[in-house]
Amino acid sequence: MASVALRNVWKYYGHVEAVIDNSWKCEDREFFSILGPSGCGKSSTLRMVAGLEEISKGDLFFDSRRVNDLHPRDRNVAMVFENWALYPTMNVYDNIAHPLRVRRIPAREIDQKVREAAEFLGLTEILKHNVKRLSGGEMQRVSIGRAIVRDPAVLLMDEPISHLDASLRSRMRDELKTQISKLGVTTLYITHDQVEAMAMADRIAVMNEGRVQQIGKPLDIYSHPRNIFVAGFIGEPSMNFINCEYSSEGGSAVLKCPSFTIAPEESCGKSISRYKGGRSLKLGVRPEDVKVGTKEGPGSFRAVVDFVEPQGDRTIVSLRLAGGETILAQSLDRFRQPAGANVQVAFDQRHLHFFNPETGVNVHYA
Amino acid sequence: MATHEFAVSGEPTLAQEESPGSEGALRLLKRTGRIFVIVLFLIFILLPVAFICTTSLKIPLEIRISGALLPQGGVVWENWVKAFSEVPVLRYLFNSSLIAFVSAMLVLFIAVPVTYSIVRFRTGGFLLPSWILGTYVMPPIVVSIPIFTMVKMVGLTNTLPGLIIVHTMLNLPIAVWLMDSYFRAVPKELEFAAWTDGYSKVRTLVRVVVPLIKPGVMVAGIINLILSWNEFLFALILTYSAKSNTFPIGISNFVGEHGLQFGQMSAAALAGIIPIYIMVFFFARNLVEGLTRGGLRG
Repeated sequence: MASVALRNVWKYYGHVEAVIDNSWKCEDREFFSILGPSGCGKSSTLRMVAGLEEISKGDLFFDSRRVNDLHPRDRNVAMVFENWALYPTMNVYDNIAHPLRVRRIPAREIDQKVREAAEFLGLTEILKHNVKRLSGGEMQRVSIGRAIVRDPAVLLMDEPISHLDASLRSRMRDELKTQISKLGVTTLYITHDQVEAMAMADRIAVMNEGRVQQIGKPLDIYSHPRNIFVAGFIGEPSMNFINCEYSSEGGSAVLKCPSFTIAPEESCGKSISRYKGGRSLKLGVRPEDVKVGTKEGPGSFRAVVDFVEPQGDRTIVSLRLAGGETILAQSLDRFRQPAGANVQVAFDQRHLHFFNPETGVNVHYA
Repeated sequence: MATHEFAVSGEPTLAQEESPGSEGALRLLKRTGRIFVIVLFLIFILLPVAFICTTSLKIPLEIRISGALLPQGGVVWENWVKAFSEVPVLRYLFNSSLIAFVSAMLVLFIAVPVTYSIVRFRTGGFLLPSWILGTYVMPPIVVSIPIFTMVKMVGLTNTLPGLIIVHTMLNLPIAVWLMDSYFRAVPKELEFAAWTDGYSKVRTLVRVVVPLIKPGVMVAGIINLILSWNEFLFALILTYSAKSNTFPIGISNFVGEHGLQFGQMSAAALAGIIPIYIMVFFFARNLVEGLTRGGLRG
């Protein structure tokens, strides 16, 4: 097992900066996820850790050893690819045995390790099948088998379940998490699906356009996003953003938005008053913190229901505010108001976020 | 003609019930047309071969006088006998076969790593692939004098190795060009997996990539064989005796006391078609599969 640390790592493809000044550390045995949209640099980062791409600038450490110039085979990493990359001319047994055969390990030892891995993953029945005949889930398990059979120090996974269909994906997510925690191996998991990262990872690094936006435990990132990108990317449906103006009237802080005025509660008010960036702010509120009802209440304001999206266990309601903005609310109760109905909306004051509209940074961190 | 065909819905097609002959007639007409075109094409291709066949069996006098296809003055075997006894046809066949085979192998040996390097590692940037294609587009006669001088300088004129080297050089670009799309169709992740498993880049190429592009390699090999076999210009310039003359040159040498001996030439030419025909016949399936698959990128 090993920890993986990046220190000021950059990656250029010609003039294109794919990875910009990334620094983070994945601890020994940790399940560390790198999460971000397509093209954010996460696959490049993983390939640099594996040794499949050159590191343009910066240092990569396994434990305390600098491994920038080490060939992939000497790094003791194993990789599971998005499209599994199984050798099409071989059967399941040979695919799993391949990394051991390359290292000239004795055949008897190979056989034992392969059968162990196959049993662990439930592949014993299909060991002799050619990989072209397998289903998606089976191929993914073979791919993992090939990776774990060598007892690698670090397991790298590049969106391994992203192109399975939805129901299989959620099953495989649970299976993967179980298997990996049983193995106790340091794991770097790349994905663009924030549900996957939130469900599986011990810690997440959120990336966008080559830069690391925030690193932390899933719930921390969810509750305390550092900037607008992280706030909007994590959570589904994503956070609502509303422009507002801050002023202090009669000693207390007041936020004026086009459709409503609210007085933020104390801790929020303190951060905002410390904020030096000016009067304009972006208010962020998650749909589940938007309360919709028919009766007026403290801090509530008027809105009109635009459309209602029932999703079984919850309902997503699109609301049009007096000033023309549209926000989403999520209700766990059955929402009975039809489109066009007038309703009263209030925000859960404990979970409001405020961002600098120019830099996007959360005022807590500004 | 009116077949009992049912449409997908299970009902008989109305068109056939209304005019029983027209659908079937159109189909027959189309089929006849297709066969006609194919036969025409076959005649176009095979008529010269048929002509050589019959010429080799005609008496020499008739060949001079008549242009008829079938022998009028009787079927004789003297052309065949004379061709093989007076001219070292078998030696020419051997030379051509050896040169074609060895140069094809050499081309593949060099072109596979070159193409892989260009495709996977972008060696040479934009210029190198363009140069390679450019040399193939250039008419070889343009460089015939420099090549002759170079071969003479190293003392390889009128030798088999000399011609092998020149053929390898000439045909390398087309092998690179042919195999390019096959290499591109191999998913990069497969090579990444091999590297992570522990293969070096060379072993990855040999053990993982090449088995996947076998049709492409076969196509390149066969085409190089054929190109080398048919090559005339440099064989003419660089060889001048039976020691190293190739088959096309040998054929053109059928000059006797009374001018060109077409009968013997025809017999020898037929003999030369046979080895290539056998080779391509065995590899025909691979050849077609390889040529058509190359257009589809994975």
